[in-house]
Amino acid sequence: MNKNFFEITNATFKVGGQNKVINVSFSIEKEGDVICLLGPSGIGKTTILRSIAGLEKIETGTIKLKGKTLSSNKTYIEPEDRNISLSFQENSLFPHYTIEENIYLGRERKNSNKKKKINTKKIIKLLNIGKILNHYPHQVSAGEAQRVSLARSLVSQPDLLLLDEPLSNIDQSFKEEIQVQLKKLLKDLKITTIIVTHDSYEAFYLGNKCGIILNKQLKQFDDPYNVYHFPNSIEVVKFLNRGILIPAKVTGENSLENKDLGTIKGNFIKHYPKGTDVKLLLQPEDLEHDDQSNLKLEVVDRKFRGTNFIYTLKTNSNLLIPVFVHSHHIHQHEVDEKFGIKRPINIDHIVCF
Amino acid sequence: MHKRLNIWYLSSFLISFIVAIPIITVFTSFFEDTSNYFEILKQTFFLEYIFNSITLLIGVLFLTFILGVGSAYIVSFYEFPGANFFKWALILSFAVPPYIYAYSLFAFFENYGTAFTILKHLFGDGDYNKHIPKFSGMFGLILSISFSLYAYVYILARSSFLYQSQNLIELGKNLGFSKLKCFYSIILPAARPAIVAGLSLVAMETLAEFGAVDFFSVNTLTTGIYNAWIAFDDLAFANRISFFLLLFIFILFLTENLSRKKAKYHLESKGGFRKKEKIKLYGRKSFFAFMFCFVLFFLSFLFPLSQMLYWTIKFPENLIDLQIIDLLLNTLYLVSLSSLVLIFFALISNYGNRVSNKKILNLLSTLSISGYAIPGVILAIAFITFVAWFDENMIKALGFLSIKKIFIGSVLGLVIVYFVRFYSLAFNGIKSGYEKMNIAVDESAYLLGYSKTKTFLNIHIPYLRNSLLFVVILISLEIIRELPITLILRPFNFETFATTAYISASEDLLEAAAVPSLCLIIIASFFILLTSKYILRDNSE
Repeated sequence: MNKNFFEITNATFKVGGQNKVINVSFSIEKEGDVICLLGPSGIGKTTILRSIAGLEKIETGTIKLKGKTLSSNKTYIEPEDRNISLSFQENSLFPHYTIEENIYLGRERKNSNKKKKINTKKIIKLLNIGKILNHYPHQVSAGEAQRVSLARSLVSQPDLLLLDEPLSNIDQSFKEEIQVQLKKLLKDLKITTIIVTHDSYEAFYLGNKCGIILNKQLKQFDDPYNVYHFPNSIEVVKFLNRGILIPAKVTGENSLENKDLGTIKGNFIKHYPKGTDVKLLLQPEDLEHDDQSNLKLEVVDRKFRGTNFIYTLKTNSNLLIPVFVHSHHIHQHEVDEKFGIKRPINIDHIVCF
Repeated sequence: MHKRLNIWYLSSFLISFIVAIPIITVFTSFFEDTSNYFEILKQTFFLEYIFNSITLLIGVLFLTFILGVGSAYIVSFYEFPGANFFKWALILSFAVPPYIYAYSLFAFFENYGTAFTILKHLFGDGDYNKHIPKFSGMFGLILSISFSLYAYVYILARSSFLYQSQNLIELGKNLGFSKLKCFYSIILPAARPAIVAGLSLVAMETLAEFGAVDFFSVNTLTTGIYNAWIAFDDLAFANRISFFLLLFIFILFLTENLSRKKAKYHLESKGGFRKKEKIKLYGRKSFFAFMFCFVLFFLSFLFPLSQMLYWTIKFPENLIDLQIIDLLLNTLYLVSLSSLVLIFFALISNYGNRVSNKKILNLLSTLSISGYAIPGVILAIAFITFVAWFDENMIKALGFLSIKKIFIGSVLGLVIVYFVRFYSLAFNGIKSGYEKMNIAVDESAYLLGYSKTKTFLNIHIPYLRNSLLFVVILISLEIIRELPITLILRPFNFETFATTAYISASEDLLEAAAVPSLCLIIIASFFILLTSKYILRDNSE
């Protein structure tokens, strides 16, 4: 018997024109879980949300919520009967109602799960929209409208909450605070949520699981830690853009050899026979800086990220390798200077393709 | 899937199809036989009809362009005494239909007319008639239509001028353009689509004009249509002439559209707009700006109003004889009934279009709203012919009693034809309201558990209330001024201000036409002032 709270099985979504996202399957096991869908713009993330909400058809497959089929080739439940709420990326507030009226309209939903007690005032305070309650939608900023839309969706107490880039219009300074509060709120209210975002850090923070959609497919659906550290394809590595792939040869049970970096040791997550040529995933935190090391690479770029610097180093083979260094590090290296890498290189887990 | 959408889709499809029937009829006229009227006409007046129509069109377009664009430019860009007053006063010319303007123009300048009386009072007896210019025939017609319709160009050009950002004007200054060069190179081209839209409305109204054309006895294609029906009962030929009228307008504006190529005339981004600062005029320039607007306001509105008022005072017996209350009630009855029907169906059709979003429906809707381009005369005649055919071939053939009386010479028939004629006003008015509402609003409502009907009633109707009010006022204004349809289809002894004025004028009793004309102008002015808030809404606000 199927026990998943929500599941999509072999669904194909028509994105527009000839574009599709095909054969998508994933599930949410427990009520209250949050999953994030990541992918580049235009790939069909929003279409997937719209299809779950019932605003679009699916071409094939099945969408089920609490064991009930919402969409399939035989069944289609109207959006208003699904008890699913979607918070749109664009302004979707009712223009002739005030912000307060817009939010309270969310509470009128017939199918609301009345078991939960929701404190609307708390949500208003949390999303920092208390001062604009008497305004009309055209009088508020895009970020405020987005937060109001989010508030309206939350107070409607849906079985499933869908958030389309919920924090895209929100100021960076306020974004992290909202992320924290949103995560807490979703957990407290036990609202099962699917969030679409292009911000991988946001996805990693908010989601119990993350789905990566690339090239018309759901490429990986896993815990955020696994998605980051154990990407299952070169496409996912390139999309996340948190490391590079360098050529290497497997030299033993726990070692590889790269002609610029020398021996690299660690635990393979997948076995490769000795002598196999592979592409090794090298992430910024894999290498350590050591001024005393005899392995010196040229600095071609340096990005200051507050808590750390990301140095881009050029090898003799012209590979560009990113390396994290704590920003309190005693001295900085300028572009064109030499930068030492600690040897031997030890990596916690070795991911190769 | 989407089973519940079918009812909206079906209703919308049916409404659009019914309204499109007359337009389809006009286009299919080429496959029907015509009487020998066409042969007679070809040898006699047909060329004259075409020549007159083209001359009239060119004359009116030229004059409305000068008056409309000139006045819009002055009130949009400059500050001078009375500028705020003229901003809305200049649209009052809408209250004077071309036929009433024609009566005033003719009566003022005719031999021993109002001009003669004024001169006689001022300078004593004299042979003034030979010095007073005569405005009759084609020239009088061009003036009458132009002064009545220039406001179409004025409103749209003004709205476009207001939308032009201060940045654009400053750009011209930075490039070292003179004011004149700035006007020709930046301001005018940027307002081109709006001006063309205004001129296209003027063109359609001009080619469809019946009352003034009939009064000045100028033979145009519209007169030809009327004659084809009255004298020869040849509807197919009347339709064919209508087709040429439509084709002519279509080619004219298609040419203009193609000449634009891919040029864009407005910025899609909403950001970066800076409200223009009006240039304050002083001295002679201020006086000229004031005089231009005042003379235009005087000629287009005060002059016909004064002429009608003068006659009403001079011949008070006409005021007493006229059943003003009856005429007012008749007019209001038609206005309210038609508005109700138009709003109801246009709302359903718009909503059906919105929720079903089907291409075929969009196409049909576009076709259905082109009924505005078909002269009222043609619509009325087409309706009578259709009812007669249906009655003969369907109703009587099945052994039922004739239904002619229900539709011809009845308020019902009148409302049906008004519906077809003014459907585009209602449909477009509501559509423009809907266009401001993001589709995500509807979807949000569904996701909050609202059904399609509840969304329509609880979200859309309250949101559209301003648009609906505007549409009602606009329809009212059109129906109050409407002449040929009312004239042909009204019930026996059922008169409106427009028909009473026309009948008196056609019996050479211009003085008697003054009271209903004056009432019409006053009521229409009232409706215009009600709409002015919407018509003159600044885009930048």
